[in-house]
Amino acid sequence: MKYLLSSIATLALSAGLAQAQAANVPDNLEKLSNFQSTGVTEFTFIDQTGPYADGIRETLKRIKLPDGFKIELYAVVPDARHMAVGPQGIVTFVGTRKDKVWSVTDRNKDRVADEVKDFAPSLRFSIPNGPCFSPDGFLYIAEQNRVLLFPAAEFFYESPDVAAFNLVAKGDLIPEDEESFNHTARVCDIGPDGKIYISLGQPFNVAPADRLEKYKKWGIGGIIRMNTDGTGREVYTYGVRNSVGQDFHPETGELWWTDNQVDGMGDDIPPGELNRQTEMGQHFGHPWYGGGSVRTNEYKGEEVPVEVVMPAVETVAHAADLGMVFYTGKQFPAHYKNAIFSAQHGSWNRTEPVGARVMVTHIDADGNATMEPFAEGWLDENGEYLGRPVDVAQLRDGSLLVSDDLAGAIYRISYEGN
Amino acid sequence: MLKASILVLGGGFLAQTALAQEGPGDPASGRDLARQCRTCHGIEGYAKMPIVPHIGGENPAYLRHQLTAFRDGTRVHEMMSVVAAGLSDQAIADLAAWYGAQTPVATLGPGQEAAGAPEACVACHGADGIARIEDAPNLAGETVMYLDTQLKAFRSGKRVHDIMSGIAAEMTNDEIRVVSEWYSSVQFEVIPAE
Repeated sequence: MKYLLSSIATLALSAGLAQAQAANVPDNLEKLSNFQSTGVTEFTFIDQTGPYADGIRETLKRIKLPDGFKIELYAVVPDARHMAVGPQGIVTFVGTRKDKVWSVTDRNKDRVADEVKDFAPSLRFSIPNGPCFSPDGFLYIAEQNRVLLFPAAEFFYESPDVAAFNLVAKGDLIPEDEESFNHTARVCDIGPDGKIYISLGQPFNVAPADRLEKYKKWGIGGIIRMNTDGTGREVYTYGVRNSVGQDFHPETGELWWTDNQVDGMGDDIPPGELNRQTEMGQHFGHPWYGGGSVRTNEYKGEEVPVEVVMPAVETVAHAADLGMVFYTGKQFPAHYKNAIFSAQHGSWNRTEPVGARVMVTHIDADGNATMEPFAEGWLDENGEYLGRPVDVAQLRDGSLLVSDDLAGAIYRISYEGN
Repeated sequence: MLKASILVLGGGFLAQTALAQEGPGDPASGRDLARQCRTCHGIEGYAKMPIVPHIGGENPAYLRHQLTAFRDGTRVHEMMSVVAAGLSDQAIADLAAWYGAQTPVATLGPGQEAAGAPEACVACHGADGIARIEDAPNLAGETVMYLDTQLKAFRSGKRVHDIMSGIAAEMTNDEIRVVSEWYSSVQFEVIPAE
């Protein structure tokens, strides 16, 4: 309880941000910001047993992993996208591209979730794809055009009414006339500097020239960062097409992130990307480059007006590299330490589909990165998806969670040795 | 009377638009072509992801309109513009025939009564979100965010339609959300064609 109170006190002192923005918040958010009840008492619970769960378990029998690893169904979670594991290990929050955020709890600690219910049911979310936690237990949820923060979410989530505040009020993350549904699955992370980093995909296949100035100013087609009281917003990354996965290297503190590249240039180009950023303000090539060193048709022949950082890894074209996490657990064999686990969602427009797997990237002493498949088998012999992995997160015991928005599930991968 | 005048407007729109009109499409050929659609829309048109609409059981004329508009650049979407760019008139007709051959089934959700449906929408889209006229899409069971996005696109001019642009122009964000939640709450399924 002391922890909780000190969190709230910190929040109240932080620049009065709730009050400053109270004028344009919806009623329930305003009530929750004032610790009032909304009158909403009903949760939606998701059944964790029965034929649906059994069908997913059947699919998991097909998944191939390195020796000693196993994959199991952790939870049935509709539309499961990016995940945030609570720092106390009590609950995992899962975003969607719809209008719900799910809380997933493993109460009996048998490493299978036994309760999945909606989080903060009185609030109207819009594409709440990206939850992330600060080490001190503040939950952030990045939506289409808003970022909310929830102090002590691991404590409050048991009740329908939670403490909730604007970090970025609705309409302030991007200009309202730039709202879209595609390339609007945001992710966030708290950096080693204590700032929050938020990806802002640009909504086009290739960003048109007449938008570039505006996008540069807002950080659309980029990654922005700000202090966790909402001040000090700045653009950290330029030249991004649509990044839906990021994490900080546990030792160097550098930001690594995935990027989805241009469609319509053929089955085999341009490559997808895993990027390594070494300082603020670097440019990664979009829209002049469509992925790797492949120039876009729209900007072909134009001189590239910026210095461009090429990707650390070029991935299979159209595989859709999404969520990623650096492995810092102790459960897996030692050579996985500080490796990147990432999800390939799978292609939508390639003649032969590719992706739908979990990849692992090892980084050598010189910083060279090599990526290879780690868990695969969600793409069957007929080219049909049996699941589409979205994000990877690490539990406190060192096992991994993998979300899947096609099956509507979270899997757990653990190591038991040979 | 309102319904009648809207139907007349709809007819005018059809007549003015350059459309693929080489006779009826072939559903079997459309099913083959739908390989490139199924990852997102499903082979029978029940959407596999929230950002895309259900298109199973849509009126073929509506599907032809939209695919032609994506191809010709009068409607723009990051993914659909890429896909439609390579479609012939015949391919469009075949795809429209395949997805149009599916049967849409809508059932009002728990607590919904037809009388509570959004007034401005029911003449064309029905209380249950199954279209009453040729050039309107079914809305039943689409995600809140899909419907919200489309209404805002009509309001901002990103997407243009004789009737919808005018209706959306008058709507606030909250009204758009309420309408979207109504149709999203309708339970929807697609009964596959033989």
